Amino acid sequence: MVDKADKDISRRKLLKTATIGSIAIGGATALNMAAPGTAHAIVRQLPTTWDETWDVIVIGSGFAGLSAAAEANGAGAKTVMLEKMPTYGGNSIINGGVFAAWDDKWHYREKLNLGTDSPEQHFGDFLRGGDYYNIPELAKTVAFGAVDALNWVVDDGGAEIRPTVTRAGGHTAYRTHAAKSGSGREYTEALRKICAKAGIAPTLNSEVSWIWRADADPKSPVLGVEVKRGRRVLNLKAEKGLVLASGGFARNVEMRMAHFPLLTDEYNCTNQPGATGEIHKYAQAVGADTLQMNFIQLYPFAEPETGLLDAMAVYPFNGPGYGILYVTKEGKRFVNELERRDVCAFAQIKLGKSAKPTFSIFSDAMVVPMGGDPEEVQQGLKNGRFVTANTIAELADKAKIPAATLVDTVNKHNQYLKDGKDPEFNKPITKAMISLDKGPYYAVAQWPAVHFCMGGLRINAKTEVIDVFGSPIPKLYAAGEVTGGIHGSNRLGSNSIPTCIVYGRIAGRAAAARNA
Amino acid sequence: MPKLHPTAIAFCLWLAVMMPPAIGQVANDPCSSCHRDLSSVLPKDHPHTQATASGLSGCLTCHSSGQRGEAVSNPFSSRLHLVHVGEKKAPDCTSCHVVIPGKQFGLIGQNISWDAPKSDDLAAMNDIAVSWATSSFTDHLHAKASVDCAGCHGKSVPRLDDTVENQRCLTCHGPIEKLAEKTQNPDFPKRNPHASHLGSDIACTVCHHAHQASVVYCNNCHRQWTMKIPGAAD
Repeated sequence: MVDKADKDISRRKLLKTATIGSIAIGGATALNMAAPGTAHAIVRQLPTTWDETWDVIVIGSGFAGLSAAAEANGAGAKTVMLEKMPTYGGNSIINGGVFAAWDDKWHYREKLNLGTDSPEQHFGDFLRGGDYYNIPELAKTVAFGAVDALNWVVDDGGAEIRPTVTRAGGHTAYRTHAAKSGSGREYTEALRKICAKAGIAPTLNSEVSWIWRADADPKSPVLGVEVKRGRRVLNLKAEKGLVLASGGFARNVEMRMAHFPLLTDEYNCTNQPGATGEIHKYAQAVGADTLQMNFIQLYPFAEPETGLLDAMAVYPFNGPGYGILYVTKEGKRFVNELERRDVCAFAQIKLGKSAKPTFSIFSDAMVVPMGGDPEEVQQGLKNGRFVTANTIAELADKAKIPAATLVDTVNKHNQYLKDGKDPEFNKPITKAMISLDKGPYYAVAQWPAVHFCMGGLRINAKTEVIDVFGSPIPKLYAAGEVTGGIHGSNRLGSNSIPTCIVYGRIAGRAAAARNA
Repeated sequence: MPKLHPTAIAFCLWLAVMMPPAIGQVANDPCSSCHRDLSSVLPKDHPHTQATASGLSGCLTCHSSGQRGEAVSNPFSSRLHLVHVGEKKAPDCTSCHVVIPGKQFGLIGQNISWDAPKSDDLAAMNDIAVSWATSSFTDHLHAKASVDCAGCHGKSVPRLDDTVENQRCLTCHGPIEKLAEKTQNPDFPKRNPHASHLGSDIACTVCHHAHQASVVYCNNCHRQWTMKIPGAAD
């Protein structure tokens, strides 16, 4: 095996040779890190003319891209926001709309008597939830910036949130806010409004197909991107900065299996079809470093047949702080419901394929406190996602769970709440948890689906993308799910939206402020 | 439509007088080079006219060339294209059009240029014209209703990266509320492609592709729903 140092040296040599070669023919060859003959770009020449010239180019129109574009264009930098899909919003517009922030302008946690919280405590949960694989500085920036990010979309964008906070898996405090509309669209629409005020809208159907950089010298900036638009291929120049906000790669089965072989196409995926990760590769091809690409999260409670994370699939996630139960189709609990997503997902996977689906059991009294909405519950009943009954035994029949077992499980759990102790799974019992002793009751089917990539491009807290030798790549920024190291091995649910908005804004401002 | 330049008209007249062609043929005219007796190919219900004697310019005295850019149905040009374009019909655009890539796109014998499409635009136009005339896609549905390029794309000749804005579609198909009403699902009011969670300003072209099979974008995620769309793949 080649020694790591040797490898680095030979890589450097290779890059240097490439640079010299390019100078010899007039500096026109584009940087290409791929092995000779294996990449379509190996003989690529840098564009000699540009079809469009911008100050800032943002790739992606989800939470991070919208935030970056609003800040950059708002700061006076001429900005374009490229979206490869025919619709804006990426995964953000279909996400569950849960937003972790230790406080909000209404102070719901305090008003509802749901204990204490602080940015430090949120930061601690980030690290514990990610098994301390997180780059602490990256996580800290989010924990301390989350409230400001929430206020921004509420005050400037008109986003509305439900009047409660929940304690979601892996969090030690009631800090998860739910969007009024029950999905991330609440915030993408708010951000789109903020963008409109700043004079920018997403440019759809524009797929980036290469990032241009002359060489890997730490002083060598990225120059622009190649874009496929309709049947045309265009070159766009970025004078001040290129912000990558292109999301994760959960829909790319080959790529996710390259890092986590277990995640075959047998698993459903909650993501939109565009979450395919090619921007990670283009960034790597111009020298960007990645980290923790194998940390890929499954959402434990997706719709079992399609993998959809619909509004109903958010109930199981928001419920544990209020006493929701997760049971197998045999009617038995299988995990501490307050556990992290990875634990809840793998607890189901370990039961075997034949155990699909499992169920969440909750009652009417829990709906509103856990961020649910009675009208939404009616829709869930109508479209068959929820089943309901006035007794646990009837509910069991409707969900095809053995009634006697489920009744026994519920009774035991009710007793645990009274005792303040869960001897089976050691769940920390809180006063906010509601006993399942009054109907109507509800059940919703669930099963894990591939959901989120914790790993990605290496950035610093200024969102500068770091190259494989540890230097920031000039003019290259990244924010959102395309980046890695913020969440460690496991992202706590509801930490993603604040992450994307906080870092999207930083990236947009940084790119706009840079000298051309 | 660019008006015929008086000089061009004078020139045509001069040609007609000075260089009388063979019987039934008009010199430098796209129609009469194939149709010796142009009056014989007029629709049966066409009013009696002598204008065919002067070839296409005779037609254009009454019919707009259909390149004004307005969204109208049944323009003269779409009917002409529909009968001429297709796999087994006129071989290419240049049978009728003067085409100089990057410089001119006009009509043989007419002093008109609508635009200056480049060669790759022209190649795509050629393919698309065939699709429009013969496919099972939305373009052919429009062709059957006599809506041609200009009906959707407006004044200039469509370019490779051209798209059609919602307002254009809604000129004939709108307003969006009317479409939403048409596709309402009485059992699941939220399951409506024209009033979905992706917003009512979603581009029509997300699902409705003109020159390729239309697809229900909803089905990317909502795989269990059966939804139909006109102009889908066969």
